[in-house]
Amino acid sequence: MIPRRDTIQFVLNDQLVTLAFDAGNELKPTTTVLNYLRSLPFHKGVKEGCAEGDCGACTVVVAENYHGKLMYKTIDSCLVFLPMIHGKQLITVENLADAGTLHPVQQEMINHNGSQCGYCTPGVVMSLFGLYKNHYKPGREIIEDALTGNLCRCTGYQPIIKAAEHACSCVDTDKFRLHEASIVEMLKSINRKKTAIEIQTSTRNYFKPLTLPDALAFRSRYPSATIVGGATDTALRQTKKGELLQEILDISGIEELKYFVEDEQVYKIGSGISLEELKRHAAGKLPALYRMLQKFGSLQIRNQATLGGNIGSASPIGDTLPLLIACKAGVRLQSADSGRVIRIGDFIKGYRLTGLHADELITAVHIPKPDSSTTISAYKVSRRKHMDISTVSGGFSLQLEKNYVVEIILAFGGMAEQPKRAAETEAFLRGKPWTRATVDQAMDILAGEFTPWSDARAGAAYRNLAARNLLLKFYTETSSPAL
Amino acid sequence: MKTSELKHDSALKHVTGQSVYVNDMTASRQLFGRVVYSPLAHARISLLDTTQAALVKGVTDILTCKDIPGLNQMGPVVDDEPCLATDEVTFIGQAMVLIAAETEEAALEAEKLIRIVFEELEAIVTLKQAIERNHLIAPERRIECGKPDEAMRSAPHCISGELETGAQEHWYLETQTALAVPGEGKEMLIHASSQNPAETQSIVAEVLGIAKNEVDVEVRRMGGGFGGKETQGNHVAAWAALLANASRRPVSIRLSRDDDQKITGKRHRFLSKYSIGFDEEGKILAYSVELNSDAGAATDLSRAILERAMLHAENAYFIPNARIIGKAYKTNLPSNTAFRGFGGPQGMAVIETAIDRMARFLKKDPSQIRKLNFYGTEDRNTTPYGETISHNRLHLMYDKLMASSAYSQRRQDIDRFNAKNEFAKRGLSITPVKFGISFTTAFLNQAGALVHIYTDGTIAVNHGGTEMGQGLNTKMLGIAADEFGVSHNFIKISATNTSKVPNTSATAASSGSDLNGMAVKNAIDTLKARLSEVAIAELKGKLTNATLSAGELIFSGNLIYAASHPELAIPFPQLVKQAYLKQVSLSATGFYKTPGIGYDRETGKGNPFYYYAYGMAVSEAEIDVLTGESRLLRTDILHDVGDSLNPEIDTGQIEGGFIQGLGWVTTEEIIWDDKGRLLTHSPDTYKIPTVNDIPAVFNVELLTGYPHEGTIRKSKAVGEPPLMLAFSAWLAIKDAISAVGNHKSEPDFSLPATAEVVLFSIEKIKKKSLGFSD
Repeated sequence: MIPRRDTIQFVLNDQLVTLAFDAGNELKPTTTVLNYLRSLPFHKGVKEGCAEGDCGACTVVVAENYHGKLMYKTIDSCLVFLPMIHGKQLITVENLADAGTLHPVQQEMINHNGSQCGYCTPGVVMSLFGLYKNHYKPGREIIEDALTGNLCRCTGYQPIIKAAEHACSCVDTDKFRLHEASIVEMLKSINRKKTAIEIQTSTRNYFKPLTLPDALAFRSRYPSATIVGGATDTALRQTKKGELLQEILDISGIEELKYFVEDEQVYKIGSGISLEELKRHAAGKLPALYRMLQKFGSLQIRNQATLGGNIGSASPIGDTLPLLIACKAGVRLQSADSGRVIRIGDFIKGYRLTGLHADELITAVHIPKPDSSTTISAYKVSRRKHMDISTVSGGFSLQLEKNYVVEIILAFGGMAEQPKRAAETEAFLRGKPWTRATVDQAMDILAGEFTPWSDARAGAAYRNLAARNLLLKFYTETSSPAL
Repeated sequence: MKTSELKHDSALKHVTGQSVYVNDMTASRQLFGRVVYSPLAHARISLLDTTQAALVKGVTDILTCKDIPGLNQMGPVVDDEPCLATDEVTFIGQAMVLIAAETEEAALEAEKLIRIVFEELEAIVTLKQAIERNHLIAPERRIECGKPDEAMRSAPHCISGELETGAQEHWYLETQTALAVPGEGKEMLIHASSQNPAETQSIVAEVLGIAKNEVDVEVRRMGGGFGGKETQGNHVAAWAALLANASRRPVSIRLSRDDDQKITGKRHRFLSKYSIGFDEEGKILAYSVELNSDAGAATDLSRAILERAMLHAENAYFIPNARIIGKAYKTNLPSNTAFRGFGGPQGMAVIETAIDRMARFLKKDPSQIRKLNFYGTEDRNTTPYGETISHNRLHLMYDKLMASSAYSQRRQDIDRFNAKNEFAKRGLSITPVKFGISFTTAFLNQAGALVHIYTDGTIAVNHGGTEMGQGLNTKMLGIAADEFGVSHNFIKISATNTSKVPNTSATAASSGSDLNGMAVKNAIDTLKARLSEVAIAELKGKLTNATLSAGELIFSGNLIYAASHPELAIPFPQLVKQAYLKQVSLSATGFYKTPGIGYDRETGKGNPFYYYAYGMAVSEAEIDVLTGESRLLRTDILHDVGDSLNPEIDTGQIEGGFIQGLGWVTTEEIIWDDKGRLLTHSPDTYKIPTVNDIPAVFNVELLTGYPHEGTIRKSKAVGEPPLMLAFSAWLAIKDAISAVGNHKSEPDFSLPATAEVVLFSIEKIKKKSLGFSD
């Protein structure tokens, strides 16, 4: 029998809060942090703009204890279930000012006219606060990345960028730094024993194990429970489709699944690692993955979403999948009794369908290190450059010997009901010289391999054309100029 | 601090999360209101049964059209928009049933239990279908000058074509919302998110069947409007009021983002046909254009929007012989409505396209053709509708901007870049904006204000305009402080309220500061005259000179004094106290109407505009030849706001307007399927610009040293005109596509220039240059 608790605890600004979900309480375990805050009398600063993590008006910051220091992360509170902030500090716009003195990010927003209608402003301010806590004198790229997830329809963003530059040009001496040690102690006091949370109400069951063995035990006991890593996809079923999520297995709190290690042959990546943390590790090591993650959602989404979740949802437009296929990545699946590693291409079975057994969890992704003759690239074509779902994406790998193709993988997203390789084109190219002439021929074959659909993102003809052209793009980036 | 340097008066509240929007308010015993809307574009309702739904626990009221005590109507101009559907629905999103419940969940559950049986009817969901059937919603309008047929026939060159410009979703961050609070008797208080509280009041009174004096509408602020809350904020207010009236409890309605996008109208899409005749040099001799707009299922403001499109069909260019035809068509889509620019952008897009094509035809840089055709300063300065252009700033601004943007040098750099790169191409474009300021419906050009001074010397300023982020209240604060000669700390701008200033016009047509600023000044002038009498009496007692007149008094630095005797200055609060003791009224109304304007829409002639605002922009774009994706490398803007009331706020309007326009011309595409279902109904698929989409280099400058006589503090309106500066980005992308074929062939192009549009255009040009025919 797993020891368990049925309440959650977190620090709201500087107060320890304990929430129970018993009858008579309007809160449910699937109540979002946004709706919880807005139900309180003095936390209406946080706004709902879209309820799908696309606008950032609901941005709040969570601070987590990381080896005695606080790590500050912006998240979209509309996509976060209350138990997900268990053991964390939740910081809201109302609490940034220090006894009447505005926080530097607030003051600079005023100085640079960063607000007009003001509705997106609390979210923008929280994103700036996250930036302030994580970067000293950030460059334009870092500032833009911190603000990508915050839509503003009034200002045209320029004054907000200026506010960011000025606010982050001073050394962090805010009150949060002064109170860091005491907050860390409060967070440590919550759940020292890593007691699993099990909340059962008349309509919903919510399980939040904090260790992998507990998670696997829950998994086998409640095989129909929806598994959530960051919930950025699953939460939409509630906020957008009005679905009642009856049973949730929340594995976001399992520290054992948040790692990135490497040996001589392989990078081993825990499934619970957030995409933002993965992006940091990928810099310099997995350049194609890094570039792809730069265009993945927004910082708020990447702070919350996990690699395991992106794979497990098996979306035809999941951004990491084509690249992982091109990398010949393996997925590690674990049950209480056994574990196995299978190729990612074999794991994805169809539209939002995987080969995960009813007692298994995705625990890791293994990416083999490519040899020096192999080039791996990722491409994403979308209507808007950032914070958009791919219209077409490509994960390509090419091994050349004396400019002849030894091996090539061309995996596409957005072209079929699941991420799919262009098998005929690959076969055609294998053994051929890597020249424009061969690639031109290959492009014609590629066009015949897929029958994509037309939707709100683009028409089928565009998808076909773009997919063809991505091969040419790959060629231009991998061919040596001398040839 | 100079009042022109005031920060937004809500900035502190914005950044601390303290600013209150309608949805942040709670009233005791408040209910959730929900709108049940049509899932079909055109259908007869053969059965509508709410019996089961009414039984859901927590549901207090369910209303259909039969339960409307007053008129079942909410059309702002024409009565063709039922508040709740009767026996027919004419678009997806049309309200049919209203539910009030204790919780949102109960309302949702009830909605699922409503039984509706439809008999589906044929729907018109594209503009082309409507044009084919001549399905007009309003009489055709014409503006003509010269002899367009003759001039077109005799012109050395003539180009004809069609241009599609797409719809645009407002995407205000705060979706449509209202809180209705019943008072005693028939009273109803509406906390609205409306650009037009007086009209909200009107429509609420109409649907409830009560007098206007029973209805108070208050607007503290909106979380963005952009025209989307000029008429369509009325709808949620009317629905909330009906539910509040039925339950006699406060009811709030807030549309979810998806519902807001599905239910509400958008910028009108247009399909325009044009012919332009010109000479060898590139001078326009004749222009003929037919502007066809998709009005949607009801008239709303479509007539005025079409009219403004027609009045901007020539943009900044003199056209000696013109024929401008405007037609608005009825389709089975939500009624399209006001959106920043109000038809102006759709009209201008056509002439800018025509000129761009002329330049390619003549193998000249489009900048030269534009300059050649600008309105003249002495002659060639009459618009097709007969208004004379005075104070033309086009030539001046063109010269300044061409120099500051280094246009010519960059044109050469771009040619070199394009010669070297096969898969990336760059383009450059300069485009002007000349935008007419005034409501074209002349009587709307009026405004009121109510100013109170309290005995502690503090001042409350009420005016008829609404604050939606544009900084109107900050400008009014500056005007009031300057006029009274007191610190802005003495003054508070109150929420807009129909019981304080009645019968106001919408805050629209960029006119908020012009109209309300003058009305505020007018009220303050009255109060100052009264205070002056008190001051003179005070000062006379201390002076031997007994001829002191009001004209000699100065209100400045929180003091009132005679110019000749500054040492006898009276502090403002002291004078106010004195006035009170002397039984002088410390409250005054103000009023303003724009002089000398009028337009006859039957003849298409008149002086609809009090003046014109000018702007110009140069943009450089780069396209990815393999994917069609584009990005903006640099934009330089020079904009004319006269003597700015507040340069930082005006700059914010210019930058924000430009980026909103950029969205319209690039990534913001609205797609309906063949059943009239909106496919792009959330930010998941509808893509407004993010921080990454703004130009990497973004220089915005105000034209200084050119005050405009006859307006409040010699300023000019700024709300709408900058949106149309985004044509520079649109045509820069086209220029880059054109470079794929070495500028030898005319690219296919439409608006928005999505990656899809761009890539197909590139492919076509590539085929042409390979010698394939189309």
